[in-house]
Amino acid sequence: MHIVDGALSNPVVIGGAVVALGGIAMGLKRLPVERIPAAGVLSASFFIASLIHVPIGPSSVHLILNGMAGLVLGWAAFPALFVALLLQAVFFGFGGLTVLGVNTVLIAAPAVAVHFLCAPVIRKGPARRAAVWGGVAGAASLAMTGVLVAFALALTGDAFVPAAKLVLVAHAPVMVIEALLTGAAVMLTRQVKPELFMKEAWG
Amino acid sequence: MTAIPIKTRRAIGLASMRLCLCAFGLVAGLAMPAAAHKVIASVYASGATIEGEIGFSSGDMARGAEVIITDDEGAVLGRAITDEEGFFTFRPVAAVGHVFRADLGAGHVAQVRLEADELPRGLTDTSAEAVRYDGAQAQAQAAGAGLAWSGGGSAPGDVVGGGVGAVMPVEAQEALAQMLQDELRPLRREVMALKETRRVQDVLGGLGYIAGLFGLGFYIAARRKLDGGP
Repeated sequence: MHIVDGALSNPVVIGGAVVALGGIAMGLKRLPVERIPAAGVLSASFFIASLIHVPIGPSSVHLILNGMAGLVLGWAAFPALFVALLLQAVFFGFGGLTVLGVNTVLIAAPAVAVHFLCAPVIRKGPARRAAVWGGVAGAASLAMTGVLVAFALALTGDAFVPAAKLVLVAHAPVMVIEALLTGAAVMLTRQVKPELFMKEAWG
Repeated sequence: MTAIPIKTRRAIGLASMRLCLCAFGLVAGLAMPAAAHKVIASVYASGATIEGEIGFSSGDMARGAEVIITDDEGAVLGRAITDEEGFFTFRPVAAVGHVFRADLGAGHVAQVRLEADELPRGLTDTSAEAVRYDGAQAQAQAAGAGLAWSGGGSAPGDVVGGGVGAVMPVEAQEALAQMLQDELRPLRREVMALKETRRVQDVLGGLGYIAGLFGLGFYIAARRKLDGGP
């Protein structure tokens, strides 16, 4: 899911950086002190998730976990995921420094979107239903990221529909795994630490 | 959810509040470098041609990808198509830095540069330059042969020290170059693979940075709060 240096035209890279900056500023503003550790843990999870590979057929896929980050953090997913992406770029060469802004938007914007779509349902109601919605959030955030990747490539000149198809098909297995994982995480969190989803103030 | 207990239980374990710690344990425990979907490309001179390989760090190679070869100014020098193993060859003519670029789709772009001084020798210069170079080389060879075999006829194969390039017949030189290339190829691949390995300390370093950054943020925010700020 990381777009690498040189794949996008300059206006897209600059536009991505501007949007990412806005998102980060928004996230930092809405990040209360007591949420900072949670942001750190989810940032670390995202950082690690890309390193854990699930072999599928001849290829392998890795988790993204932006859905979970979005559910818990809301706007704060922007700074949390930005930090993780920055370190991934520096340490492992995933993506690159010039496309960091674009990658941040591609990953964090869907996280924020699923927060507003799914988090209200997850906060209340039975835990089982919350888990299902958690699964939906996990898959949806990834699908949105895929569409955004295709969109970013389309702005640079690729045809949108084939690019989107390619990205989405390649990530269909991850979506399933991520849906199961996010659903399970939401279920567990609802049982052991429901207040993680309960704060309305930062929504 | 409950229909698949083992998977779910494992998923719950992974995704628990200590997700980071679990993942950390997993990575540290396996002590295994994990490959990512990063594009890897390498090019090197091999005899008179440039050989290159393009693939993903997951082990997949880029099949049938078009490689566009340009100089530093962006002028197209040629094109090549990768085979089933992501392998391609290109015969250079100009003695300039070569930029190899392949768009693998979905935001994956391979780009790698071969410096002018890493190009295959002899063939790199164009037109008049090349002729002069060849002439000079032939002279040097003749002189070398005369020196090594003390002027008496030519005794190929009987190499006694001295500069290999000056003493050896051209065919032997080419055979040697070919042999060296063949011997070096696996080594090159190994070096490339090694470059792509992610070691545990890198992962731990990254986690340390995250902990530190968020700790710093926490500290600043807490201080501001204690000072009676918002």
